[in-house]
Amino acid sequence: MLTAAELTLLGRLDLAYRRSRNGLYAGERRSPRAARSPEFSDFRPYVPGDDFRQIDWRAYARLERLTLRLYVAEEEACLNVVLDASESMALGTPPKWQAARRLAAALSFLGLAAMDRVTLGTLDGRSLPPLRGRDGVGRIWQFLEGLAPVGEAGPADLARQRWLRPGMTVVISDFLTADDDGVAADWAPALAALGGRRQELVLWQVLAPDEERPQITGDLKLVDPETGRDREITITPAVVADYERALAALRDRLSRASEATGGRFLSSDSGLDLEGTMLAGLRVGVVKRG
Amino acid sequence: MQLIAPLGLLAALALPLIVLLYFLKVKRPEVRVATLVLWRRHLADRQANAPWQRLRWSALLLLQLLAAFLITAALVRPGVTGAAGVGKTTVVLIDASASMRTTDVAPDRFGAAVARARQLAGSLAPGEEMAVILMGEHSQLLAAPTSDGAVLDSALDRAAAGGGRSDLGEGISLADAILSGRSGGSIILLGDGHSRPPAVPPRVAAPLTYISIGSSDQNAALEALTRTGAGTVFLRVANFGRQARDLKIEMYGDGRLADVLPVHVDGNASTDLTWTRVPAGTQLVEARITPADVFNLDDAGWLLTGAPPPHEVLLVTDENGFLARALSLRPGVHLTTVAPKDYKPGKYDLYVFDRIVPPGTLPDPALVIDPPGGQGPVPLGPAIDPGGVLPANARDPLLNDVDLRDVHVQVAGRVTAPPGWRTVISAVAGPLVLAHEGEPRIAELTFDIHHSDLPLRAAFPILVDNLLSYLLPSGFENQAFALGKPVILAAEPGATEVDVTTPDGRLARLHPPLSPFTDTLVTGVYNVRQLVPGGVRSSRFVVEFNDPELSRVAPGAAAIPFEEERAQQAPAVRGTLELWPWLVGAVLALLVLEWFIYLNPTGLRFPRLRPR
Repeated sequence: MLTAAELTLLGRLDLAYRRSRNGLYAGERRSPRAARSPEFSDFRPYVPGDDFRQIDWRAYARLERLTLRLYVAEEEACLNVVLDASESMALGTPPKWQAARRLAAALSFLGLAAMDRVTLGTLDGRSLPPLRGRDGVGRIWQFLEGLAPVGEAGPADLARQRWLRPGMTVVISDFLTADDDGVAADWAPALAALGGRRQELVLWQVLAPDEERPQITGDLKLVDPETGRDREITITPAVVADYERALAALRDRLSRASEATGGRFLSSDSGLDLEGTMLAGLRVGVVKRG
Repeated sequence: MQLIAPLGLLAALALPLIVLLYFLKVKRPEVRVATLVLWRRHLADRQANAPWQRLRWSALLLLQLLAAFLITAALVRPGVTGAAGVGKTTVVLIDASASMRTTDVAPDRFGAAVARARQLAGSLAPGEEMAVILMGEHSQLLAAPTSDGAVLDSALDRAAAGGGRSDLGEGISLADAILSGRSGGSIILLGDGHSRPPAVPPRVAAPLTYISIGSSDQNAALEALTRTGAGTVFLRVANFGRQARDLKIEMYGDGRLADVLPVHVDGNASTDLTWTRVPAGTQLVEARITPADVFNLDDAGWLLTGAPPPHEVLLVTDENGFLARALSLRPGVHLTTVAPKDYKPGKYDLYVFDRIVPPGTLPDPALVIDPPGGQGPVPLGPAIDPGGVLPANARDPLLNDVDLRDVHVQVAGRVTAPPGWRTVISAVAGPLVLAHEGEPRIAELTFDIHHSDLPLRAAFPILVDNLLSYLLPSGFENQAFALGKPVILAAEPGATEVDVTTPDGRLARLHPPLSPFTDTLVTGVYNVRQLVPGGVRSSRFVVEFNDPELSRVAPGAAAIPFEEERAQQAPAVRGTLELWPWLVGAVLALLVLEWFIYLNPTGLRFPRLRPR
């Protein structure tokens, strides 16, 4: 799935969580909650009800005020990777499917390497149980290699995912879906629903270069493999320009919908290697240098 | 309104064809895309798999139908009849005198005149027509009145300056003939004012505008180059400019530079020179003025010093002093005169029978004058009063420099030119001089020269010399001819092939019987090579320019009687205003609009006629 060089590259990166973690178990991620741990965090004045055991008596001797000594809590974080495995992901040159699958593998690897609890699944509901530690890398890759892009997927499928744990949820898709009327599907309701489930959303759009800047011209019949619909069109440079404007508008809607839930939106094309793809993540702050 | 080309209505068949094409469904290649959403604005309303589809109106279809309609309308060439201000005809006269080859304007005066004529052709408004006349020694209609720029361009491509002096009267007469019946015409004369003025002021049917071409008057010419004795050559150098000039005359003997003569010539004056150092045995002397000037036709002269070939000529006559003297004038002619009763056929190069025809076969070549009734190569009928004397064809080389205007003939024999004969000089009542085309070379005068004033005119010895050039074998040898004039190449008996090499190296291969050689627009020495039984005969002749009137290259005013009053009184021009240029312009605009809509299909959407 990933080469040794790519794993070395990923070894220098880490996932950048924004929200406080709420893991069930102690982990390696800093928690905003104070707790007992070897790492000092801060002082704060004592208020009735606080644990006496946390009073810093040496400070009281100097200051004659009751002060609590706080420590950093380290908890595990949860990473949910949701991969769009619909038939449209097989299109594009180079195909989006390969790029999306490798991206899912890379993000899962980053989570597993940081001892996060990683859950990987697809929009159509197939998923792995939560994994933790590098031992899970093999299962994740095996799962990804067993996937094939078939069928349809859309925002309704995202809202239906029940296996998502509170944490960072990365949705990898082309987000090119239409509703029954043939207009662009609205992802905002599904994203809002997920945001309500304490999800830090990251929408990672993967498109092929020829989907970003179409090279086709003339009288054609366009076929949507997911829905089976086809329509005739005469493509001219002006039509291509319109297409590019429509794509920009779609991205803008996705960005606003994700930001409304405190999430982020980014895109990369399937022509990039893993390093280029991770650079896109670095620019948006989804990953950081470890 | 009238339709000038109603057959153009056939183009209307394109209208249903275009609609039919819209019924046909285009078979489109399939392309799989991730979504149709992003293309939604441009997708067709519905999809069908049948080869035919319901006609859907679109802006493109309407534009195409409109364009086809306009093209059809343009092809039938609709015109508004009786429209004022259109239908003007302009006749452009281009002076083709030799002086138009002066290079004081680029490329030369004639080229500048042609360029100006092209400019006039290019600025014709719809409905206007233009005709082009090349005004040489004889005017030639290059293009009849037309509004087609391509036809005018093609006609102007054929225009070339001549070697002589143009005839203004003839040119204006031809222009008048073109403009007769056309109101509102105009004549534009492009020239340098060296046309031969008409003998009487011509009637000009339309306003005439003279556009003068040229700017310089500086020209020196070699006016004369003759041999005055053994080893001595006489030259006359003329300066037609206003300023005195110091010139050098390069003298060549058989192509090699032999001497350079300095000469000072005052403005509008000439200087005579004598060159006494002609190398012994020189066959060709060439004199050339340096430095060259803007008119180079007269900058050089050639002198063939070889003796003309000797010819034995037999004149059979009772008494004809005029004829004997005219025949003897030609160098190389050895004339033998015998009475008719003493005539015996011999070995002569030419037989001249004056008022007698020998019994039996007529020897050739022969010149027969006034043969007795019923005899001769062309038997004469009863005597008639022939009336005015005219050249049958002014371009006939037998009439080179022959002026017949003062010639009168009292009595001539009635005759009709039989097949194979051409009339050289004609009268109102019939031919006066006939020449047999090709072999045998025979010419016949249908009148007794004593019954005319022809022997008293300068035209007579010139006509006789021309006839000798035509009848005598190799009559052209070592002769000098005027630029642009046809040269009669009488081949040697038995010659099978004649090659003529012009001074600029072009080769013309001719086969007897020979037509007059007309490619004489280059001055210099022409070499003639004849293939005769038993060998090759080489000879030369010279073509030179010698016209002081044309050498005075300063552009002058044309003698134009400008009838301004008539122009002012001319009724308003009315003609047919053709509408096709506007229709073609509209078609082009439609095509641009269609292309714009094709590239920006959302910029103009036609409303649906039926709800979806």
